[in-house]
Amino acid sequence: MRGTKRILLGAAWAVIMAGVSAGGVFAQGASTATGVSNLLNPAVSINALFLGETSRDIDDAEANRIDLQEAELRFTAVVDPFWQADMTVAIHPEHGHEEGEGGGHYAVDLEEAFVRARQLPAGLGLRLGKFYLPFGKQVPLHTHQYAFVRAPVGVTSLLGEHAPAEVGAELAWNVPLPWWSELTAYAVNGDAGIFDAEDRDLVFGARWSQMWDVSDDATYELGLSALHGPAADPAAEDPDLDLVGLDLTLKWISSAHSHGPALTWTSEVVLRPQEGGDDPQGFSSQLQYRLLRNWWAAVGFSLADSAPWAPDAVVESFTPGPQVRVAPSLREYKINATYAPSEFSFLRGEVSYLHDPDEDFEDLRVSLQWTFTIGSHPAHLY
Amino acid sequence: MKARMIPAVALAALLLALPAPAPAALKVVATLSDLGRVVEAVGGDDVEVTVLCPSDRDPHYLPAKPSLARKVGKADLLVYNGLELEIAWLPLLIEKARNPRVGLGSDGLLDCSEAVDTVLEVPAGGIDRGQGDIHPEGNPHYTLDPRRMAAVAHLVAHRLGLLDPDGAAAYAERAAAFAALMAANDARWRETAAAAAGLPVVIYRKHWEYLADWLGLEIVGEIEHRPGIAPSPRHIQQMIDLAEARGGVIVLGAAWDHPDALRDVARRMRSPLIQPPGHCGDAPGAAGYVAFLDEVSAALAGAAAELEERRSAEGP
Repeated sequence: MRGTKRILLGAAWAVIMAGVSAGGVFAQGASTATGVSNLLNPAVSINALFLGETSRDIDDAEANRIDLQEAELRFTAVVDPFWQADMTVAIHPEHGHEEGEGGGHYAVDLEEAFVRARQLPAGLGLRLGKFYLPFGKQVPLHTHQYAFVRAPVGVTSLLGEHAPAEVGAELAWNVPLPWWSELTAYAVNGDAGIFDAEDRDLVFGARWSQMWDVSDDATYELGLSALHGPAADPAAEDPDLDLVGLDLTLKWISSAHSHGPALTWTSEVVLRPQEGGDDPQGFSSQLQYRLLRNWWAAVGFSLADSAPWAPDAVVESFTPGPQVRVAPSLREYKINATYAPSEFSFLRGEVSYLHDPDEDFEDLRVSLQWTFTIGSHPAHLY
Repeated sequence: MKARMIPAVALAALLLALPAPAPAALKVVATLSDLGRVVEAVGGDDVEVTVLCPSDRDPHYLPAKPSLARKVGKADLLVYNGLELEIAWLPLLIEKARNPRVGLGSDGLLDCSEAVDTVLEVPAGGIDRGQGDIHPEGNPHYTLDPRRMAAVAHLVAHRLGLLDPDGAAAYAERAAAFAALMAANDARWRETAAAAAGLPVVIYRKHWEYLADWLGLEIVGEIEHRPGIAPSPRHIQQMIDLAEARGGVIVLGAAWDHPDALRDVARRMRSPLIQPPGHCGDAPGAAGYVAFLDEVSAALAGAAAELEERRSAEGP
């Protein structure tokens, strides 16, 4: 398996280098004879995140290290008059390597690879391929888009540390209402950790997002999400996984001048109604504010109760065994400051405190994260 | 049988007698107010224009609000500046709008930079982001030159004529009228700003090169010399030293360019600061664009007078 991933890593690198070097090696005029041209190459970008961390309470290397957090390679191109394609390949430290083998191993994952229809009528949109499921505000984001080093525990404890990106089809519709309203429905294969990959049933889900302009500078968005599929976690008494989510986002960007103050406040609730036992639930609320042109600050709070996908550090610390991941209750507090000298790099310092109310588990952690983006990276959604 | 046909015939006659409904106006969405005013001038009553970027917003950083995508979703024609000015938000709006009428390659999508024969500041050598967030295709702010906007008007007329062939002649006629209006005002604007033409100008950012090219302004420096990157204290000091060496300069920024910081820099330069609107305001049609250039040229004239006055007061 590791060998396969290394081959994939090598192949991805070879593709990039071929794209970069083609222009220099092959003159454009010779492409008719050589069949080689870089004129129609996709736009390529690389985003790399590095993370240095130390924990007051956890001694292992996972919580006290400096490493690549993730590097994303993104390719975007128009396929033909009917489709546009996006592909994102992630390279990250390999988890769970054998005892004593040491670090330095990296794995390659295909995060997203989809085509988007370009010519559907009536406000319809279609995506085919592998994509992050449109559930709430955190799941659809790539790591470098988070306001913090990681997604909030109130979301990851119910949807998994690695947000579900699945293969299937997604249909979206701009609902003709006097305000922005978008309805999205999807049917995908359930391969992410939270789904039972051996089950033949598909995962179905939907999201209804609505946004209103409060003023020229401010908007608020209300989102409802739901999905249904085969559950994977062994602690579940209910073989079906049903998740519902509600999110509210207030965004304000001052029009007073370029790079002026801006604020984003996002709150999200995730519920998992199930037969038997307590219903797992998660909540997160985070606020990010631009203090100065290059400086952002953020605070966040999150909680998870009876959540089936607690972080590894929690599982290893106090659950009966690694096969049971349920965390009875978790609370998370975060604060950070981000220095972004341009739109293409930032440096972030963060303090986070994760604990359970009974104080059986605590993790006070200091993190330093830095990132850069090179190449033609598509702009992020509002 | 004949009796049964009478009501149908009467209804048909009534429908024929009714005045034909006026053809619906083309819904045009323009990214910039400058382009919107030109479309209004060329389209007249045959178009209904919506502008995405308010005139007081920096078009580099317009938030891609879904409410704007909703407007694009209703458009028959989307008119944009091009040269990557709107790259941070327009692709998102087009994607979210899900409107095939304004899709890539359709007649409903118009890049107005196609009308610009000479694009300024096209990078000659290799480029990288060490030079800041530069525009690889050249400086995109051609809407500040009425000569180039006259060419844009003809391009808009041609495209409106494709979408509405019945109105093609009227669009061409109005475009010619717009071009004539620009030509008629050209000398007046030049005369108004003539005093500034001989004076050194320090701009906040590369927004004014086409204006300078048209009016003959001498741009001697930029405060934000690497686009999108905050200027270093050292560079600001160099600009202050430059202003001192030149006996003062006109400091020119757009209304959205960090007014507090600019006021401070201008004070340290002992130079007049003007921050006119970066794009034209809400007054519709050609009159709106004319009023915009009236305001900019008058601001330059005022700054030139102030600088000359300071120079006279301080002596040689």
